[in-house]
This record gives sequence, structure tokens and C-alpha cells, in this order.
Amino acid sequence: MALALSSALRQKFDELKRRYPSPRSPLVPMLLFAQDELGYVSEELVEFLANELGLRRVEVEETASYYSMLRRKPCGRYHVQICTNIACMLRGGTDLLEHAEKRFNVPPREPTPDGLFSYEEVECIGACTGAPAVQVNYNYHEGLTVESFDRLLSDLAAGNEPKPVPYTTGVYPDQPHPAEVRVLSRRFTPTPTPALESYRQRDGYKAFIRALKEMTPDQVIEEVKASHLRGRGGAGFSAGMKWGFVPKDSPKPKYVIANADESEPGTCKDRPLMEFDPHQLIEGILIAAYAVDAHRGYIYVRGEYRYVLEILDRAIEEASAAGLLGADILGSGFNFDLCTHTGAGAYECGEESALMESLEGKRGYPRIRPPFPAVVGLYGCPTVINNVETLSAVPSIILNGGEWYAQLGTPRNGGTRLFCISGHVNRPGVYELPMGFSLRRMIEEVAGGVWKGKKLKAVIPGGSSTPVLTAAEADVAMDFDSLAKAGSMLGSGGVVVMDEDTCMVNVARRIMHFYAHESCGWCIPCREGTAWLRKLLDRFHAGGGRDVDIPLLAQLSRNMLGKTFCPFGDAAAMPTISIVEKFRDEFEEHLRTGACPFARSEVAVAED
Amino acid sequence: MTPNSTISLSVDGKQIAVPAGTLLIEACKSVGIEVPSFCYYPGLSLQAACRMCLVEIEKAPKLQTACTVVVQPGMVARTNTPQVHAARKAMLEFLLTNHPLDCPVCDKGGECELQDMTFRYGAAESRFVEIKEHQPEQRFSPVVYFDYPRCILCFRCVRVCDEAMDVKALGVGQRGVHSVIIPNQPDGTLACEECGMCIDICPVGALLPQAYRYKTRPWEVKYVATPCTHCGDGCKTTLSVRQHEIIRGNNRDKSGINGDFLCVKGRYAFDFVSHPARLRQPLLRQNGQLQPTTWEEALRTVATRLKEIVERVGGDAVGFIGSNHTTNEENYLFQRLARVAIGTNNIDHHRTADYAGFAAALKGETARLARTRDLLQASAILLIGNDPTHNHPLLAYHIRDAVRHRGARLYIINHRWIKLERQARQVIRVPEGGEAAVAEVFRGQSRSLTPDTLSALRVLQETLRKERDLIVLFGAELTGRAIARLMNWGNQLPGVTRYIALGDYANSRGAADMGLFPDRLPGYARVEDDGARRRFKELYHHPLPPRGGANVRQMIQAIVSGRMLALYVVGANPVKTFALPSPAKTLGGLELLVVQDLFLTETAELADVVLPAACTYEKEGTVTNTCGELQQLKRAVDPPAGVRSDFEIFRLLLHLLGHPVSFRTPESVLEEIRQHVSGYDVSFASLLAGQAVPTSLPAATGAVEPESGLIFSSDDSLFTSGTLGRYSEVLNSVHERNLPRDRL
Repeated sequence: MALALSSALRQKFDELKRRYPSPRSPLVPMLLFAQDELGYVSEELVEFLANELGLRRVEVEETASYYSMLRRKPCGRYHVQICTNIACMLRGGTDLLEHAEKRFNVPPREPTPDGLFSYEEVECIGACTGAPAVQVNYNYHEGLTVESFDRLLSDLAAGNEPKPVPYTTGVYPDQPHPAEVRVLSRRFTPTPTPALESYRQRDGYKAFIRALKEMTPDQVIEEVKASHLRGRGGAGFSAGMKWGFVPKDSPKPKYVIANADESEPGTCKDRPLMEFDPHQLIEGILIAAYAVDAHRGYIYVRGEYRYVLEILDRAIEEASAAGLLGADILGSGFNFDLCTHTGAGAYECGEESALMESLEGKRGYPRIRPPFPAVVGLYGCPTVINNVETLSAVPSIILNGGEWYAQLGTPRNGGTRLFCISGHVNRPGVYELPMGFSLRRMIEEVAGGVWKGKKLKAVIPGGSSTPVLTAAEADVAMDFDSLAKAGSMLGSGGVVVMDEDTCMVNVARRIMHFYAHESCGWCIPCREGTAWLRKLLDRFHAGGGRDVDIPLLAQLSRNMLGKTFCPFGDAAAMPTISIVEKFRDEFEEHLRTGACPFARSEVAVAED
Repeated sequence: MTPNSTISLSVDGKQIAVPAGTLLIEACKSVGIEVPSFCYYPGLSLQAACRMCLVEIEKAPKLQTACTVVVQPGMVARTNTPQVHAARKAMLEFLLTNHPLDCPVCDKGGECELQDMTFRYGAAESRFVEIKEHQPEQRFSPVVYFDYPRCILCFRCVRVCDEAMDVKALGVGQRGVHSVIIPNQPDGTLACEECGMCIDICPVGALLPQAYRYKTRPWEVKYVATPCTHCGDGCKTTLSVRQHEIIRGNNRDKSGINGDFLCVKGRYAFDFVSHPARLRQPLLRQNGQLQPTTWEEALRTVATRLKEIVERVGGDAVGFIGSNHTTNEENYLFQRLARVAIGTNNIDHHRTADYAGFAAALKGETARLARTRDLLQASAILLIGNDPTHNHPLLAYHIRDAVRHRGARLYIINHRWIKLERQARQVIRVPEGGEAAVAEVFRGQSRSLTPDTLSALRVLQETLRKERDLIVLFGAELTGRAIARLMNWGNQLPGVTRYIALGDYANSRGAADMGLFPDRLPGYARVEDDGARRRFKELYHHPLPPRGGANVRQMIQAIVSGRMLALYVVGANPVKTFALPSPAKTLGGLELLVVQDLFLTETAELADVVLPAACTYEKEGTVTNTCGELQQLKRAVDPPAGVRSDFEIFRLLLHLLGHPVSFRTPESVLEEIRQHVSGYDVSFASLLAGQAVPTSLPAATGAVEPESGLIFSSDDSLFTSGTLGRYSEVLNSVHERNLPRDRL
């Protein structure tokens, strides 16, 4: 077979194959790591991996073609990935894309004639507080202007590789806002020191040792229940209850998965949690594993977060060397192995059952539920799956008590949250604030108010899947129940602020582009509905709207709502419904004038 | 909840009771309530992807998919509410957004599930004004075409190919609205079994058979469900016939024992019927050349010269080789022609299984005969020899089904790798020819097998003792004594043990049952059996020769040695099948060679008289599959002008030879068979109703070990079908026929 792979890559393959009980599982990481070396997923690679993993060729093809980071054709040496999703769009991401189109003058994903560059528009890369952001290969460059972006490209062309951002822009480790209550972020230091030693100096692994030595698994679960820790991925389900659903008498092995597939537009909180304090996550995973008697765990990290993956791998290595992972941990007889697993570009894989499919080397299709993962999860075995932030909160809960944690927040909404405030604010950033913190204060005080002295028009409270709030609705406590009462959701904590000059039709349009791009295609209403709405909104925003389109937008969204296979359809429908309802006048104005009445910043994004 | 308990629930106000574990969609169907669906397909994994089956269930916060909800006691479901109707309408509207709505030219129009659903549940108007996703039609293979825009991504094709066929030649590529069905080859084509299951299962016109594309409208064709003419499994293929032309074979009416299944041959290999090389008039050798002639001339020549030879040297100077494809009625008349009109037992055929040995070993215990669909219920299956994936595609399909759905345990003993091993619990490899030795081991003796194999076989024996319901299938590797030994052992197992002897072709079993043997009469009685001969004498008003005749090999020797002067070959190609060395020389010694066939085969080329015969799809009669199930043929098309059925030819010849029969139709022959051939006293009504009616196998006495070289399988692949298969352009067109079996 005409496929030359470096010995390092072959070694990596061998190591990956040892991570899983199922031969197919390493497929996605193998594809991505091989692409890093070969530049793309060649036919030879597909056949090689099919052979290597005992799969049929078409099975590799199915998986490879699902993930948007995997390419079947070569790209440039520097692949410039420009985020134009909502947070970046609001701060000029679209201008960067236009600039790239002009400068490179080649179609997206195709290399320039010198082979040096290629570019493409990408969905949220988790740099919302550093918007607008691009990734050059795996390196993040944030807070760009057209000028600095152009300089970056010129530097690259000249052979100088500018240093990427060292960590998520908008994390202010040295100057926390006075309103912040730093629990999960309390170890964030100006220069990230994710090492085990510094972690242990500041209570590191004490919680796990306490659980292991002083508590029964049931006591751990009770403590987490008492903390009112609710899922930080967006759904807000009680973490303690989730753990409690894991059958104790199952003869099957059990698994713990940390969901680090952070990709909800507007959200970039798991990224700093892992880059600043990976051991906190590992400790949380260990405690969860102890609580449900799991002996193997995975951290599923979105493919774009490559350097985070490397930080985690190092941390796991350190913890293993210190006897905190592996066999007979600290002489307790408890065994637990932990590995990272990289995704390769698919928002849907943040949905827990789709994530497990992906971890099993398949297309990221969600599974029929029930059964739920706690009973039938990874490899058909009982599985606890929690968001990074959720698991990162666990050590503090065990150390200080569930009661203590619960009281940091509001009733039934325990603790603090890492809010990512992006968009049109003066000080975008990731802030750890108590649950129930006022959204208004968050924007006005913590994030320094709406930029350029402008007025607030709208705010997305919890990532792009949550119904938008108007300026008048911004006096709301940021916890699950209060937002539900206000007709929206706390979601993932991604707060996207929009000023008075923002075209809400364009916002709806860009949001729908995201969902249409990320729809897995499994069920009809989501697959067809998102694509239809995307086309409709493109046309409408470009001035081609019809009277019937406004009610149609709402009707089509409602036809998806509650009828799709997984919550994705709702996630696409809810913001659209809210924008059409709350900003109907803007839609009508588009109709009246036959064009977008807002500033030039609204340029239609290229069709994907 | 015990698995046998019954659940009561309410659907649309109706109280219904169904077995526990039933899916709501099936529960509704059982009382005649239609819940529409695209992705749900019985027997395939659940998808809940099309969302067409959303129904209201009391206490559920939102609509639920009836295809995934298992009925619960006291459940209250509603399928007929405004909310449900609105959801169906919405789903159809979504589905139609990217559907091309090219129904006026789509082959599926008129039998399209999307069309039907839209008619019943859809909106009258379209609100979609955007540009549709489009890709040009793709040719997946010479027989499978894929029209991307029509595909609704129900994934039935992907699942049937993977789960039911264990091929997985189709997958899903890309994602979201760009999701697309992809074939398994990098160049966008298929390498598969070409069974076409994907086509049949497609609810829309996305996957279509090449032969049918843009040919007709489904309401313009006549549908004729008739047993397939190729292998011995007895699938029914429903032929779409338009203006005397067969343009499609499928099984959407599920009329046969094959249910959903058809292989490449059943589905497409009807095309030999209209092959240009088809014989369309009798030929007579004149001046060394075969020349067209009239039927009168041809038949008179045959009759006159046969009579002359019989009068000159006696009937034993004539040999008869029959067919694995002709009907029971024709075979029955053929042996009468030999035994009565010519007065010889020199009659045989290519025996592809030792059915006589099987009958002898069975000793009349007909309860030990397994029927095709019994495979679906067996707890264990032991397969010795053969390669059912290729030789018996339907049985292989049922075996996979039993393993997949019921956890049946499959054990395989074979000298070579076969695909079914992927489903097997245990595989025992024996040396080539070692399958027959297995029976000896089972009886405690051992001969040629290695110690490892022997110990594996002993373990298997112990394992099988624990099975409650075992079906043993064996190929032509086992004959005579080996079959008897195998059954002696199997019959002593504590559980129920039943058997299937595997023979190659559509009527291989019938040829044996109808006595195309030199030593056995119809119903397996030995020719030396005075009583049996007397019964037929009374029936035929003529005595039958009392001594056994020559088998095929002996006939060939007799021809070479000049003792046999005439040979009458029907639907067989012994030159090829028995690999005659220098056939022109061997058969050239005959005074008369008559060949009755569809094509000018290697044997026919040497004939003195060639009689063009009708094929299975052009006539009436019955055939018996390898499991002994009798089915009636339905004439789909008329034979070409100048072609006659074997039945007609035999009737005419019997008349010309001075032994006229009174039968006007094959059905009247069947009546005689039912009354006088042991094992065939079946229900005529069931047969007429289109069922596969089990025959039984009489206790054959006096079994002897058949000479070697008489019983062998042609080991046809999925893409060959003896001589007949060579005249199917479809079978010749698929590249997979050249792939080794382990690459499929």
C-alpha cells in the first residue's frame, strides 16, 4: 500500500488502539492525526485504516465524511479557519472572511497556487471572548482586526509564525472582577500552570482522597445531590441524580466521560478550565468514577482544541505517574484509567449519545432514548457523562460540602457558573459568578457595558440555542429556573450581547447557518428544516423577502420544535422563534425597504 | 413481565391487546390502524429518523415515535388527532423540500410510498420557494442506479444491506442536508452481491433497477409471481410484464417463502428469456449442418429414428438425460417416455444432491424434513459443506435472520471459508472432501481427520446435545452412507433434529422425486420392486423394464463402446457438466442425438435434432425446491413463436411413438402425480393459492453408495447459474462475478 506514515504516527496509532476496548473507537482520532501528517484524508489512508481496524472501507468513509475538520483533498500549508459565528460576526469576523477571500482569491478549502494557504469559514471555535478569532491550523489568533489579520497572513507568508494566543482571551486571571466568586477558577494564574505540583499545593486531589478514603460512593452521590449542581453543558440536569441512575448491580463495566466538545456558539468556558486547571477536571472525573464504580474514563475534546488535548494528555501522564490514575490508586484497590479522545469538528457530538457514537468511531448520530446513558451508554454499558464545568465543580463540592456549594447560588441552582460574555461589550470575558447573578449587572458592570456607548438591543443568555432576550428583558437572574420563567434558558452560559445597530434578521440568519451546517442529517425535520430556514433567511435578509415569509419562519420553526430526534431541532427553532416574535418590526422593515436597513456590516456569508 | 404475557392498551379509543414487547406501531397495525412511516421497517434496526409515526401518548409531554415506543399496560395512544395530523403534514412538507417532485417521469410513480403518504397526509400546496439540493443520477452498478434528489434518507437500503445481507455495501456520507447514500467503492460504484434488496426496500424512486428505468408506468404492467428458475431455494420472483416482455423481477408482494428476499438471479436474471441466442425453431442436421426445420419434420425424425433403433437393437440402446429445470410434470412424462415408449431405464440427470440417499436414510420419518421457514425458528443450525451464500442465497438469508433476530447458534463444518462463518458460533475446518468423514466421527469412528479437528468435532457433538431444535443442512459433499451415518447420529440427539439436503437448481429435487434415475421410479421405488412396477404398469397400461438402467457415466461409456446408439438430452448440457473429453468424438458415435433446450449449448451443437423449448417463465407446471416444497409456476410470457414447452414436446412424441397420453394440461399430469407418486399427495387448493406446499419423502429402500462422479454440486456463485446463467446479460455484466468470494 502506497502510504508512508512516520514512525511517530504509527506509534501514536498503536497507543490509540490500546485506549479502547473496541477496535473501531480510535478511528476519528486516527483520521485526524493522520490528516495532520498527510494534509488530508487520502483514499490510501481510508483503506489503510479500514485494514488496520478491521472495518469495511465504506465504514471509514462514512465516519470521515461526517466530521467537518476532516478533508478529502489537500489544503494549504496554513489552513486559515475564520470564525464568523455569532460572537465573531458581531465583532468583525465576516470582514476577516471577506479579506481572506480577496487576498487568497481561491475557493474555500482549496490551496493557493503556491500551496501556502487555504481558508474556510468555520463555525464557533470557542474563542468568543476573543472575537473575532481565527485558527491557523491548530493555533488560535484572537482579537483580530482586518489589519492585524492581514499582518498575520503576511508574517506566515514570510515564514514567520506569529505566536498564537497563550490562553483563551477574556480570562482575566490577574484582575478578577470584584463581583466574581472564584471557585472553579480560583487557581487560574496569569500564566497557566497546569502542573500537578501547583495543583496539589492548592488542595489538589484532596477531595478525591477524602472521597476515596472517608466516603462511600453513595455518600459522594448524596453530597453532589445536595450541592444542587446542575449540568453545565446546557440542559441543567442534576449531576447527582444522573450519577444515581447508574445501576449498581450491572455486570458490565462502567464508564465516565467528560464532555469537552464545547461548541455551543458563544461558549468558551471549558477551554480555560482545561488549559488553566486540567487536574481539577481529572479529579472531578475520578470522584465521579469512584461514585459509580467506573474504571475507565474518556475526555472527549473537540478537535479544534488540540493544544488543550495536549495539556490534558500531559496532566493525565502526571497523574498516572503520581499514582492518582491507573491500578490500585493510592493503595485503595480502586482502579481507574483515563484517556483523552479528540473529536474532529461536529457540534452534534456535544449531544451525549452522539458523543458516544463518535467515541465508538462512528458518525455522530444521536441514539434513541430511552435507554439513557446511565443505563446503556458507551459500548452499551452504564455511563456517566458530564460537562467539563460540571465535573470541575465536583472537587470543591466534596472538599467544602454540598451545602456550601448550594448556598453560593440560588435555590435549586447551586454554585457558581463560568459565564462567557461576548459580543458588543467593552470587556468581553469569562467570569465566574454566582448562579442567579443579574444579567443586567453582568453586562453593565462585569463586562464593562455595551461598547461604543451604544444601547443594548438584545442578548443571548446561554449560547445560540437559547431564546434571545430583549434589552427590556435583561433584568433577569441568571439561573436555570429564572431564565426558564423568562421564557429562555441558562444553557451553556454563553452570553452574547448585541447593540442597537445589530440587524436581528442577520443574527437569525447566521444562527440558522450554524444549525444547518451542524445538523447531523439523521431526522427529517432538523435536516430539512434547518436547511430550508437557512435559505429562507438568506433570501429574506438579502432583500428577497415575501409577506408570507415572516409567519412561515415561525411556522417552520414550530414544525421542528419538539418533533426532532434529539434536542438539536429545538435548539435551532427556539432562537428563531424568539427573534421573529421579538423583532418582528425588523423583519417588516426588511420587507418594506427590500434590503437590510442596518449598516454595511451585514454582508451575506458565502453559501456553504 | 413474562415474554408471553399480553398487554392491554387503548389506541384511538379502541381497547386492544397485544403481546408484551410489541412496538406501538405494530400494535396499531394489528388492529388496522395505519401509522405512517418511512424509516421503520420490520426486521431492521429502529431509526426514529423520519418522524412520520409521531403519535400522542397520554402523559407524554410531546409526540412520540410509535416505531420506538414499546406498549405498556394501560397506555393510551392517539393516532388521529389534529396535532398528529399536523405533525405528519409538517414532516411531509419538510421531506418534499428537496425532493424533485418529478413524479410524472419517475419510475416509482404509482407505487411510491412518498407519493401515497403525501396523497393521504400531505399538504395540497408547496411553500418551499428556495433552490433544491441537486446531484446528477449515479450508476452504482450495471443494475443499480441512484437518483440522489429523490432520496429521503430513510436509511432502509443501508440497513438491509448491512443487517440483513451482511454486505454493508452502502453507507451514509456527508451530513445534514448534504447527507447522501454512498456505495462502497472509492469511484462511487458498488462491489457487492448485487442482490438489489436496496432497490426493493427503497420507498421512493431513489434506487432503481437498470432494466426498469424509464421503461413503463407500474399500472401498465402485469404482475406474475412465479418461482425463480435458478437455484434450488424456490423463491418467488414477481415479474413485471409489459407487452410480452419481462422488465422487472421483485418481491414487493412478498408472495413467496422468500418474504423480503431475492438475490441477483431472482431479481434480474430473467433476461435470458429474450436473449438473442434463444432457439426459435427446431433444427435438423442435414449434410453435417444444423438446419432450420419444421416441428413436424423434427418430431417425426426423432420418433422414426428412435423407433427404428429400438426395433433394431432394443430400447437399451437409447439413453435419456433429464433436466434440473423442467417441471415435475415434464419430468414425469419424460421418464414415462423412456420407460414405456422406449422400454429402458437408461434415464438419469445431473444429480446435485443425493436425494435418494436422503430418502433412504430418512426412512419415512417426514417429521425430520425441515422446511425453508423452519430455519427461522431453529435454535441451532449445523451446516456441513456447501456455500449457501452462493449456492442457496435464500437459505443463507434465513440463517442470518435466525442468528440476528433469534440468537440461533450456527455451526459450520467446511473445507473452505464461506461467508456465513461471520454468523457462526463455531467453525470447523476440514480438509477438502473431509465433510463426509465428519459423519464417521459423529458415530465414534475416525479416519482421515487431524487430532485437532477430531477434538473440535467432539466438542461440537457435546454442544449440539444441548440444543432443543437443530436443523442440519448438508451439501453434495455428503452422499449415501455418509448421510445415513449423519442422520443416525442426529436422530439420537435429545432435541428435535431436522434436515435439509442441498441441491443446486430450481427443480433438482423434483427431477429426483419424479424418478429421473436408472434405478428408481417416481417416488424412489426401486425399478426391481415388482409391486411398484406393477402399479405403474396399471397406470400406463404398459409394462416397465424390470432391470436397472445406465446412469450418466455408464451412458457415456456405452456411447463410447458403441452399445448406446441414441441419446435424448433435455435441459441439460452434459458436455460441460460432465466435462466430456473430446465431446465431438464421444457423442459423434451416436446415431441420434436429440437435444431439447433453450439455447444451442455445447451439447446441442453436436445434436442431430435440436428442439427449442420454453423456459420456466413461459409455462405452467410445478417445481419442488431443495426443501421439498412444491410450488406452481405461473406463465409470465408466452414462449417465442416456434418454441414449445417440454410438456407439449413430450406429449407429441409419446403420440408419435404410439403411446399417446390423455393429458391436455400439466395440471392433469399433476393430478396423476398427486395420486401415484409417493410424497406428492399434497393439497391442490394450497398449491393453487400460491403456497409452497411441503411434499414428503417416501422411505426409499435398498440404498447403495452411488458411484463417484454422479453426485456433485456445480457450486454456482451468485452470478452463475449453470449453462442458463451464461445467457443472462445482467449476470455477465456485474464485475463481482470475477471477484473471489471472500472479497464480496
